[in-house]
Amino acid sequence: MNIKKKENLAAYIFLAPALILLGLFLVYPSLLAIYYSFTDYYLLTPNDINIVWLENFIAIFKDPVFIQSLKNIALFVVLVIPIQVGAALGLALLINKQRKGNIFFKVAFFSPVVLSLVVISVLWLYLLNPSEGLINNILLNVGIDPQPFLSSPTQAMVTIVFVSAWQGAGYQMLIFLAGLQNIPGEVYEAGKIDGVNKWQKFYYITLPLLKPTSILIMITTLISAFKLIIQPMVMTQGGPMNATMTPVYYIYQSGFSDRMIGYASAMTVIFGIVIGIVTLIQSRVSREDDN
Amino acid sequence: MKKPIRRIIEYTVLILIACIFVFPLIWMIVSSLKPEASIYTDMNGIKALLPSLNPSDWLQSYKELFNRFDIVQYIFNSVIYAVVITGGSIVVNAMAGYAFARFHFRGKKILFALMLALLIVPVETIIITQFTVAHSLGILNTRLAVILPLIANIFFIYLFRNFFKAVPEEVIESVKIDGGNNWTIFWRIVLPMSKPAIATVGTLSFIASWNDYLWPLMVLTDTSKFPLQVAITNINTTEPVFTNQVMSILTISTIPLIIVYILAQKYILQGLGGSGTGIK
Repeated sequence: MNIKKKENLAAYIFLAPALILLGLFLVYPSLLAIYYSFTDYYLLTPNDINIVWLENFIAIFKDPVFIQSLKNIALFVVLVIPIQVGAALGLALLINKQRKGNIFFKVAFFSPVVLSLVVISVLWLYLLNPSEGLINNILLNVGIDPQPFLSSPTQAMVTIVFVSAWQGAGYQMLIFLAGLQNIPGEVYEAGKIDGVNKWQKFYYITLPLLKPTSILIMITTLISAFKLIIQPMVMTQGGPMNATMTPVYYIYQSGFSDRMIGYASAMTVIFGIVIGIVTLIQSRVSREDDN
Repeated sequence: MKKPIRRIIEYTVLILIACIFVFPLIWMIVSSLKPEASIYTDMNGIKALLPSLNPSDWLQSYKELFNRFDIVQYIFNSVIYAVVITGGSIVVNAMAGYAFARFHFRGKKILFALMLALLIVPVETIIITQFTVAHSLGILNTRLAVILPLIANIFFIYLFRNFFKAVPEEVIESVKIDGGNNWTIFWRIVLPMSKPAIATVGTLSFIASWNDYLWPLMVLTDTSKFPLQVAITNINTTEPVFTNQVMSILTISTIPLIIVYILAQKYILQGLGGSGTGIK
């Protein structure tokens, strides 16, 4: 065997486990989803799969639950990004300063990140219990009427936004903090000489220099926000009145609980394309950052 | 005169915000350390955030929880899944990363471009067809089904590749001259030199596998194979539900993560480019 062939063989031996697993659990399921999206595949009748072309896609856009799930996820994204990213930036600015006990505050702000999504969902389910939860008890003590939170169609999604932002902000705070510490001290010195005040310093120096970090954080938050499923699944089961039904959760329900593989696959294709496009934009943006 | 007042205000604000972030965690832990009735009678004051004043109450809810459910089994399952996935993920992704970093082979460019393109596939949306694949493979309701899909990870391959590219050529060449083949070079030389990359991938994949919920929930039907995350929602819906026992299982499932975050804090931020589990 010549050297070239030997190297080819060695390379593919090193690649084999990863390629096989990626093929089985990423590539093949993706292609299957595209194929099934054009069929009426029902899990319990695997021998009776018929091509129905665009029927699923037409049905999806007439499905009020799917439309509702798109509206819900839009609301979630629009609220969670400014709240979570804003909170993260605020926290980073607060602790980006020499101060006694700073490490304590840093750990405190970061602590919810350590909890899994299932844990935060169950925990907040108890805290937000309308009649005997801690939150309503606190509100009552400061003179605010108890709120229904997750059991109200108007409050449920907003509540999930706050729980999610509470959990995730600490992680992004650390990224902002790294960004802040990368801003050279001379820039601020120069500003001082020019006599800028605190707000000018923040608005004209800190904020523009944090822009690449902020954009990266916002887009990664956007992508993961699109895939929201655990919080509504555990806390509200998509309710009340589908107010917290999300696209990924609906894909799970139609494909897994209702066993309509074809129908769920069509939603996978549509929603996968949406997230794919956003991810593409993200990789463009972060590549520009590198240059 | 102005300065101390300012500092007091600053600290008050910081402490208030810190309270918002930590009180749920504190409530979770202390509620696991008191009798069920006390949780609700303590609700109206600072006692809500204190454990039972009688230390002999502390482990009562844990005892009852362990009596009602096979918690040891759940912990064992979670540990097995996390350890196998973490180990497998380090080996499999490092090998692939090494091939891309060090070998010249036919189809390398196309394969690499294809992998990067696949990064945009949102795995969470293809769960249904992943399930049908697991079904066709006949691995439903086995531990293998929980483990296999979480091992290969394009982002980790990319991370390893970049790391291996930075290993000086001379190191590898000198071993080759001494008669080492690719296999021994990889295991004896390259991998031991790659502790930072291994630590990063190891940390991220441990956290991801420990927190995995949806996939094991879908593929497992035997409760005896449930990891802790699935056991949590199971316990939370098995009547009679006791708040202190639920808080105990939440606390138990969180302890390993606290340890990992403390030990591996410097590797956590590397995961930004990968897909997080939540809104991270």
